[in-house]
Amino acid sequence: MGRQRMCDPTLLHDAILTGDHKTAIAVTKEAIAAQIDAMELVSRYMVPAMDEVGRRFECEEFFVPELLLSARAMKGALELLRPLLAAAGAASAGRVVIGTVKGDLHDIGKNIVGAMLEGGGFEVIDLGADVAPETFVDAVRQHRPQLVCLSALLTVTMPAMKETIEALDRAGVRQSVKVLVGGAPVSAEFARKIGADGSGENAAVAVALARRVLAP
Amino acid sequence: MRIQVISCEVMFREICHLAARSRNQVDLAFLPKGLHDLKSADMCERLQQQVDRASMANYEAIAMSYALCGNGLAGLRARSIPLVVPRAHDCIALLMGGQDRYRRYFESNRGVYFKSSGWVERGVTASQLTGYGMDMAELIAKYGEENARYLYEELNRYRQTYHKFTYIEMGIEPDDRFEKSTRAEAAERGWEVEKIAGDLSWLRRLVDGDWSPAEFLVVPPGHRIAPTWDDRIVEAVEETTEAG
Repeated sequence: MGRQRMCDPTLLHDAILTGDHKTAIAVTKEAIAAQIDAMELVSRYMVPAMDEVGRRFECEEFFVPELLLSARAMKGALELLRPLLAAAGAASAGRVVIGTVKGDLHDIGKNIVGAMLEGGGFEVIDLGADVAPETFVDAVRQHRPQLVCLSALLTVTMPAMKETIEALDRAGVRQSVKVLVGGAPVSAEFARKIGADGSGENAAVAVALARRVLAP
Repeated sequence: MRIQVISCEVMFREICHLAARSRNQVDLAFLPKGLHDLKSADMCERLQQQVDRASMANYEAIAMSYALCGNGLAGLRARSIPLVVPRAHDCIALLMGGQDRYRRYFESNRGVYFKSSGWVERGVTASQLTGYGMDMAELIAKYGEENARYLYEELNRYRQTYHKFTYIEMGIEPDDRFEKSTRAEAAERGWEVEKIAGDLSWLRRLVDGDWSPAEFLVVPPGHRIAPTWDDRIVEAVEETTEAG
């Protein structure tokens, strides 16, 4: 075995899939000690695990708690790997400003999407709930994200998504970002109508959708 | 006129009260409140089954005692009988008697959770499935102690953004039991309670067949309900058979 310690990275895949935060951290530490390539760990074991979590959520084998636990396990492992990934020159998947639009205080969906995006390697700036269009504009100017994610649970607050996109437009920053919208009542048709770049039917598709709209 | 009212059980007492006093012959069907926790397409499917069943009988119209309800009504089809639906986002607007009153209240009262007789006593929800409704003991049993604590915190964080129950009294309650229950729950959470008077008039017009275009959408046979994202809230869209 030489100086390498025993480490089975498939255990990391399984720990993320089952939402086992402690095991995910322990295996990641072992993998680091065994000098397993961090990028390979992410792309071969961790991302496929999250993809499987998303698939199980889609077919209602998993529900919101499972999603939350897997995202936490993914995030815990990524935090340990981040310095190694940075040293290896791996860029963050992108920077995201996320918030629930003005008038809407429901933030569970937004929190889950935020956790999923962090798990997917994005840097997430969470503006919270009931966020005014001007606050989104300021955050875009300050943080220069590639992506803005807007959430709403109530149909009565959905027009605030349109107002937020219009405010980004008026401020001259709309072209610098992609805007994604989500929340239970939000449809692809609505997203098109208000000039968003995309919408996700649920939190499980957030990472894939974010990667797709940012792909050159 | 003979009509079928299909209602969410959250308005059970209101609709029964109005049906008994209506000049119309009104048949009632109630569906569980938990439908609104389902994905909107699943809620619509359950409503469609009910509409389809009613469409086989001899009614002049099917009146939906529902709001757009998180797009749960989006896509609902009128078969052989017209479907009538109030132009409302949420049932709270129906209980308040008008969309304008609801909007004004909503805009000046953030962090409010609404209660009414139905919101107190009609409790069957699908939230056990999604995890939102689980208490700590249930979470521990399913996910283990450490995970349960994390989940409980995440799933209940939204409560910090709410601080008030608004209890809507419709004037048909037998006594103050629903108000008392609301006040007890508020005390447990450290929330305030505001009691406001509801207004049965919009629901009454629904049951009585007094369907002005400003307040109601009448969906003709062969059309479906679509959200408009403006003040009309809903419109009727003709069904087209997609070619190839």
